[in-house]
This record gives sequence, structure tokens and C-alpha cells, in this order.
Amino acid sequence: MLLRRFGLTGTIFTFFFIAQEAVISQLSFPAGGFSLFLILTLIWAALSTPDVAAAVGFGAGILLDLSPSTNGPLGHWTLILVLMSYAIAFFSYGDENMRGNPLSIVLMVTLAQAIALASYLVTGFLLGVTATSFSQTLITIAGNALWTLVVTPLLLPVVVWLHDLTFDSRMRI
Amino acid sequence: MRNGGENRGRLLLVILIVSSLFLITLDLRGVNVLNGLRSGTQSALSPFQRAGNVVLTPVKNFVNDITHLGRTRNQIEDLRKQNQKLREQLISRKNQDGEIKQLKSILDLAGTARFKIVSAKVIAQGSSLAFTRAITIDAGRSSGIKKNMTVISGNGLVGVVKEVFTNSAIVMLATDPAFKVGVRIAGSQQIGILSGLGSSTANLQLLDNQTAIKVGDILLARGSVNAQPFVPGVPVGRVTSVSNAAGAVTQSATVKYLASFGSLGVVSVVVKAPKADPRDVLVPVKPVPTPIPTVTVFVTPSPSTSPSAPSN
Repeated sequence: MLLRRFGLTGTIFTFFFIAQEAVISQLSFPAGGFSLFLILTLIWAALSTPDVAAAVGFGAGILLDLSPSTNGPLGHWTLILVLMSYAIAFFSYGDENMRGNPLSIVLMVTLAQAIALASYLVTGFLLGVTATSFSQTLITIAGNALWTLVVTPLLLPVVVWLHDLTFDSRMRI
Repeated sequence: MRNGGENRGRLLLVILIVSSLFLITLDLRGVNVLNGLRSGTQSALSPFQRAGNVVLTPVKNFVNDITHLGRTRNQIEDLRKQNQKLREQLISRKNQDGEIKQLKSILDLAGTARFKIVSAKVIAQGSSLAFTRAITIDAGRSSGIKKNMTVISGNGLVGVVKEVFTNSAIVMLATDPAFKVGVRIAGSQQIGILSGLGSSTANLQLLDNQTAIKVGDILLARGSVNAQPFVPGVPVGRVTSVSNAAGAVTQSATVKYLASFGSLGVVSVVVKAPKADPRDVLVPVKPVPTPIPTVTVFVTPSPSTSPSAPSN
């Protein structure tokens, strides 16, 4: 059972990672665009228990760190996503008002995505990764948040369906 | 039980955070394995990225075209105009280059003979008035051009001014069937009359039947009284064939004009001839043939077996 869940989750995340790298990264969106993979990870975490969310965040972070477009050290995104996934799952787990309301999930994912990006930039600065100007950073984070706000409602039903398929659960959102 | 689950969850979180920090430390310390992992991921992703690029390029182009529709159209229009302008400039430049080349050779010729000339562009070519071979030039009376003045190009005689207007003139070409000019053979100074035939060749009638004329001889204009219509010494043509018909009163020859009538862009009208006859100074220099290297091969026959004698 565990192996099946692990295999399915890995396949889904790998597929979205390839889609992100091969398709989304090649399109130029205004104000920086969005990360499909990051949105998937955060929605998945919002639907999972905190320990599963942390494990998924770890795996997703490793994949993001291996992305050729990442300029930080390996483990950087891993650390951010472990903490962010755990946090989002911790706040939403057991709260049906939060989980049962798609708007809450959308807003939570958007907020988490903005915090994740900001944390990545701040820790990157501490680790010595070259950062852009403050204004550009703000534009990127705000642009990403806006795009996430647009994309998450579209992606949410798909991710919920995939999550149900993987964990044999039936969520009502 | 619940506490146990929470503790396990926290422990997992701590392990994952420590693992992440461990990875960061390894990377910052420059462990090569991690770089290899990244390059391996890039290698694995590149086929997908290429495929994605192939699929997305038309979409991106379409979106780009839609987004920049007005700008693209204006850009195309601007580039078209620019292209047209550049083409015109190129054609004009080529034309000017040709004219400069012709003008330079005319100036060389006129300078050698000390002719005072007025250069003009050929603005029309073809039959005009009663002449079958004529050109119109863009200089006329206002430039000091008068009727019956000699017209030359860089290679030699072109014709004679037949009609003059304020700012243009009509030149009868030497190729005109009605054109006749007194000529002499450079070197031997024998004289004759050259008549146009309507093509790039002319017919030469020598006045002295005993004169020796040969292929390749250069003919120069003999000159007229007061240098009109012909100034003396202007190269006219080169003998291409000689006919010595038995019983003919005069010798005749076919002459090819030195001037190229098909590509007249700039010509000069000799408005004042030098006091002294330039004689043969304007005879074009014969082209020096480039020596062709010859290779001599010596072959020494190898000893071969002679046919054997029949044995008894």
C-alpha cells in the first residue's frame, strides 16, 4: 500500500516537474509567471497530513533543487518546502472549514507560495546567492502570487482527483 | 497514542530539516556528486525541453504575433520602405560607379590630348529626328555646346553634335549609316574615309590603293577645318578585316569602333581643340598578353623487349 502511494506520488510529481521544465518554463508570462510544480506541492500538502506533507515537500524540494534553472545550493528548496508543506498541512489538517472550502485552499496556497518565495530569497541571501534588486524581487513575488491566484482554482480539481486516487480517499471540495 | 503520532511527525520533520541542511552543507562545500546529479537531471530533461520547444514555438510565435500585431505590421512596413530605399540607393550607386568609370577614362583621354571638354550624361538613346543612331545628352547651348562639335567617350570617338537646345543636345553616333569621318592610320598616316554601317562596325575606304593596311591597325580622326566637326587625333576604331578585291579602285577594310555604344552613360563634347595636332598620342596601348607558362616534359623510353626472332 505504502509502495503504491509512494510510486503514484512520485510519478505525479515527476510528471508535473517535467511539465514545468519543458512547457511552463519556456513560456514568458508577464510579471514572472508561476510555478506549476510549486502550486501542486502546496495543494498536495494542504490536502495531506503534516508528516506526509513534510515528506512530499522534501521530495518536491529535491526535484526543484535538481532543476537546471535553480541557482541556489542543493537542499535549499528542500528546506523551504519541508517547512512550508508542514506548516500548510499543520494549519489545515483537521479543520474542515479550511479543507472543505476551495477558496480557503486557493488563498492559503497563494499566501504559502508568496511566503515560500520570500523565504527562499531571504535564505538565499544569507547563503550568498546573488539576489536581484529589491523592487524586482517584490514584482516577482507579487506577480507569482497573482498568477497562483489564477492558476490554483484551475489546478485544484485535478490535484484533488489525483490525491484521492493516490490515497484512496474521497474528499469533498 | 496521539502524543506518539505527533512525536513521530515532529521527529520526521526534524530528520527532513536536518537532511536538507546536510545537503546544503555538502553543496556549499563543493561535493562533486551533487553537481553530477544536477547535470544528470539536465541530461534527462533536455529531450523533454526540446520536444516542448518544438511544440510550443508555433504557439509562442502566434501569441507574439497577436500581442505585437500593430507593432509587427508597422515594423514590416518600415522594413519594406527601408529595403526599397536601399535597393534604389544600390542601383543609383552602381549607375554612378559606371558613370565615374566612364568619366575618368574620358578625362584621361581628353587630358592627354589637351581637349577642353564638357561632360554630359546620356539622357535618351535611340532614334530621334531623322537620325537612325543618335543619343540625347543633358548639356546644351547653356554649357557652351554648339552644332558639329566632336563627342568622345573614354575609348574614342562617339559621334558629332547635330542639334543643340538650351539644356540638351542630340548627338549623331558614329554608327549611323549617314556618318562619315576622315581618318588616318596611326603610324603610317595613310588616310581614308570611314562610313557607319548601323552597327558597331564601319567600312573604311582608303584613298591610296597602294597603302598597306593590316588587321589591328588603329584609326584616328584626321580632323576638320577649325576642328569641326572632328577634332584631330581622336581614336576611332581598329581594323578587323581587310579586303583586297582584284580590280578594286580603292582598298577597303572593316573597322570595329573603339567606343562601346551599347553602354554609353557619360560622354564629353570637345568644345575646344588644342592648337597642335596630338598626332598619335591617343592611340590606345595594346594589351600585353599574359605569358602562359609552358611545361616541357622529357620522356625517356624504357628498354622494351624486341620481338623475338623466329627460332630455327
